[in-house]
Amino acid sequence: MRRRRSIALPLVVLAGLVSVAGCRSGESIANAGIDRPPAASAAPTTVPTSSAPGETLPPGETLPPGETLPPGDTLPAETTTTAPPPTTIPTKLDELPTCDVTALDSASGPVDITFWHGLSNELGTALTTLTNEYNQSQSKVHVDLQFQGGYEDNINKYLQSNQDNRPDLVQMPEYMVQQMIDTQSIVPTQACAESAGYDTAPFLPQALGAYATEGVQWSMPFNVSAPVLFFLKPRFEAAGLDPAHPPTTLQELLDAGKQIVASGASPYSISLDSDFDGGGGWYVEQWLAKGGNFYADNDNGRAAPATKVLYDGPAGVQLLTYLKQLVTEGGGVYVGPNASGQDSLLKLADKDAPASMTISTSASLGIVLSVLGNGLIEGITADQVGVGPMPGPAEGPAGGAGAVVGGASLYIVDKGDEKAAAAWDFIEFLENAQNQSTFAAATGYIPVRQDAIELDPIKSVYVNDPRFKVAYDQLLASADVATSNGPVIGPLQQVRKVTADAVADVLTGGDPQTALTRAAQQANDLIYNYSLQNS
Amino acid sequence: MTARRSAALRRRTWRESGLALVMLGPSAVILVGFVFYPLIKAVFLGRQRCGVRGCRTTGWDQYIDAFRSNEFQDALIVTLKYALITVPIGLALGVALAVLADKYLRGMSIFRTIFSSTVATSVAVASVMWFFLLDPNVGFVSDALHSWFPVLKTPGLLQDENTALWAVSMSSIWANLGFTFIVVTAGLQSVPKDLYESAYVDGAGGFMRFTNVTLPMISPTLLFASVVLLSRAFQSFGDIELLTGGGPKSNTTTVTYLAFGKGLPTAGDDGLRSTVSILLFFVLLILALVQFRGLEKRVHYGN
Amino acid sequence: MAIDNVSGARKFGRYVLLIVMAFIVLFPIYVIVIGALKPGDQLRNQPLLPNHVTLDTLRAAWRNGHLGRALANSAVVAVLVTVAQVVTSVLAAYAFVFVRFPGRNIVFVLFLATLLVPLEATLAINRRTIEDLGWLNSYQGLAVPFLATAFGIFLIRQVFLQIPKEMREAASMDGLGHFGFMREVAVPLSRPTIGALALFAFLTSWNQYLWPVLVTTDEGYNTVQTGIKALKQGAGSNPSLVIAGTVIVALPIFVVLIIFQRQLVRGLTAGAVKG
Repeated sequence: MRRRRSIALPLVVLAGLVSVAGCRSGESIANAGIDRPPAASAAPTTVPTSSAPGETLPPGETLPPGETLPPGDTLPAETTTTAPPPTTIPTKLDELPTCDVTALDSASGPVDITFWHGLSNELGTALTTLTNEYNQSQSKVHVDLQFQGGYEDNINKYLQSNQDNRPDLVQMPEYMVQQMIDTQSIVPTQACAESAGYDTAPFLPQALGAYATEGVQWSMPFNVSAPVLFFLKPRFEAAGLDPAHPPTTLQELLDAGKQIVASGASPYSISLDSDFDGGGGWYVEQWLAKGGNFYADNDNGRAAPATKVLYDGPAGVQLLTYLKQLVTEGGGVYVGPNASGQDSLLKLADKDAPASMTISTSASLGIVLSVLGNGLIEGITADQVGVGPMPGPAEGPAGGAGAVVGGASLYIVDKGDEKAAAAWDFIEFLENAQNQSTFAAATGYIPVRQDAIELDPIKSVYVNDPRFKVAYDQLLASADVATSNGPVIGPLQQVRKVTADAVADVLTGGDPQTALTRAAQQANDLIYNYSLQNS
Repeated sequence: MTARRSAALRRRTWRESGLALVMLGPSAVILVGFVFYPLIKAVFLGRQRCGVRGCRTTGWDQYIDAFRSNEFQDALIVTLKYALITVPIGLALGVALAVLADKYLRGMSIFRTIFSSTVATSVAVASVMWFFLLDPNVGFVSDALHSWFPVLKTPGLLQDENTALWAVSMSSIWANLGFTFIVVTAGLQSVPKDLYESAYVDGAGGFMRFTNVTLPMISPTLLFASVVLLSRAFQSFGDIELLTGGGPKSNTTTVTYLAFGKGLPTAGDDGLRSTVSILLFFVLLILALVQFRGLEKRVHYGN
Repeated sequence: MAIDNVSGARKFGRYVLLIVMAFIVLFPIYVIVIGALKPGDQLRNQPLLPNHVTLDTLRAAWRNGHLGRALANSAVVAVLVTVAQVVTSVLAAYAFVFVRFPGRNIVFVLFLATLLVPLEATLAINRRTIEDLGWLNSYQGLAVPFLATAFGIFLIRQVFLQIPKEMREAASMDGLGHFGFMREVAVPLSRPTIGALALFAFLTSWNQYLWPVLVTTDEGYNTVQTGIKALKQGAGSNPSLVIAGTVIVALPIFVVLIIFQRQLVRGLTAGAVKG
């Protein structure tokens, strides 16, 4: 009796397994409920993106009026009219909510605004300090700063809330541009900037460009970061490499890797991850941009919404073939999807089989120096951690230099003129040269404007420790071409995830073309489905 | 039955019904408002696909498509594996610890407190702990044991496609151990002592006593514990999110994680999320029916 | 309890096993406590040795995770949920056992079926309900969906079933109404199980992970688990602070556990005597 009981459950589960195996369709869940996913590579140009809803639905799809559900049902019924030709820039901005910064002057009392952000720990403290300073410095606006538990939670809460429950100002990471546009819940910052006669000339063009599509500046860059190369100087010296001149091109990186391993300076040369906010997703965007290649069509989705990714072409295949070569010949080591966010960095501290280099975001420089440089690695002090630009393809427009802007930007939520004007006033405060200098020095982010680095404290930081300036210089070095601004895709986060799976596949021995073709197919499905849901 | 008595009875039944309404009211309001209503709503939401501004009805096919999709099938298999690892091992360990501590010996209360201590750790706490312990590069476990188990370091227990699910399971078994221990201990204490005595008189050895007396007597407890563990296994989310993020590749993407994980096709689509959640509900429903029909009648309920 | 017939050698063997198991169970906890007592940059240096002991990391986690406020919020919500669950479960269980009304079994099965609904399936819609009620950023928003559970009703019903029906009849003869019987007889007889339910309700509420994040946008209503999540997932994530945060958050529960351990085991025993 007892025996029968103990095997009953496994049997049931086993039966379940068998029945499950029988009905697999071979389709992605992304296409569930969607009759005809696009023959992605076949006829992508016919895929509608932002035209009138009735026309976009494939045969058999219907949209009963009663069936539309929240979220966002409180929004103005401004469903995009027929896709405007991307060249008519003024038209696009005219269609959008306006901004009147004088509304603040005519406000009867102080205007309270709520600001949601995703900066934790020291970064959050730096923002809090600036906000308190602002609140005390004037009486027209009071900012209520609310940390939402990180970017992901911030996004979820923003998207799920009614417009009434949304904040007046919100910080969103770089991959959210298209989704924020599609919520139709924001006032483009350009409208406020024009109303205020704001001068954007001192800003880094790359920082502004990251948040502009179809000729509209949607948000203002706030905290900017980019990936850089971290390396351990003593191991470079042991390998006969010059720590003052770390590799800057992909070929140099491969050669340096071979040299490190051959010399025995460390068993591995560089640690590589497939984090979709790192080596698997974000860096792929970086490398393609550095090489002068588009990641997605329609100029990376900036001339018009993107309809497909382009990385399954020669440039992408070449890149992944290179990464594979870095592992097979260049002494690189793959450390997995980087679930801790520090796996690739900590590989440098492995007691057993460490690496000498890795690529990580410039935003973590302060943490990297304190973690790696305090006795974790025998004989390494914080001074001996080197920083160089992220190596890129030498054939790129700037010789492989430059970077795509990462980090986050500030969006003004459409909650009336007074609130928008108040939010803009606070943005002007956060973005003035002095405060950008202060914030950059406190956090390690790149200041968004060039006049900020002439001011202390960041001026002294850059002079005293040039490692902090590497990311800034790298960003400035970007070529002034359309490919330098990263991709804007609605489901960019999901596209990064499928791309990261392809990178993981290749780094563990898979074929680059096969992996990328599959990833591109999935990515294009995601983009197509997104366009169905959001047109 | 006279007319007067039946009238009185009817009055009593009415009064009792009113009383039942009062007593059940609070629970009913909560369960209807926050379980039944959203469940029914989710069933309808599950045939829609949603974007940032609203939803679009696609039809009931969406359930079939989602069920047959690669991701769901993979996730279902991962979930079943996960349940098959965590429930039996967790239960066995809990029973072993409880039997071990089920003696009047000096210091036993200290051991009991230690063994039940993991109920104090939440999913988040346990996951952070194990994440730190299993770090492949500079973690203590990998440094100490990698010569015997190279996978601890390259690529790491949580990073290797073959071991990731086991590593997550280990964390979950550990976190649930306190609960299982407490429940089984309670079950053991309810076993009448005279049963052991007579078994002893009959010459049954320790193992015989365990299989012939202990196990049958605590079978209701084991059923209870296994139901709770199984439902926890099927609904685990926090540990997956914090330990592996569903990876490597999709080796630890359970059904629940598929519905709510970061960067997955379901992200930002409340409709598709509902589809997956409702499918999970039906899987649970079928499992529960089988479990109760198959197990309940075999469970020894005293007397 | 098994009869005590162990010889010296077997007793010794049992102790060895107990100590080994205790070591395995406690090891992760030990490592994490040591980690919390080190400065951030020493976290991964000799993780087993309490070198460089400092309270700074704990203090920083307390400050950055706003854990003071979070602990208070979690305590308020957990107490609210616990008290309410005990009340609603006792009332409903009593009705299912002692009160006659039409459709009793059907209602009970319906109640029981809610055990199977995955919390996740209802999250998004419940969030909308709370938003429509205007309860975002409030204690009621955090607590209300959990004020009654089928688990609690089921658990209490099982003990009530063991109370002989004759007792109810006798009490009825003495003029004791339903509420009187509940207060004077049923509840006192089930006290251990009620205690166990209370502890589980408290722990479950304290460990809520997904829900509190969804229904709060005001840091003033953060709970402990969201505090931990925030320490880990913000753009400035710092492992050392996460570890310190977990220690702070688990500590009160350890205290509760040590105080109520005995009750917990006894309560579950009483509930399981005869199914």
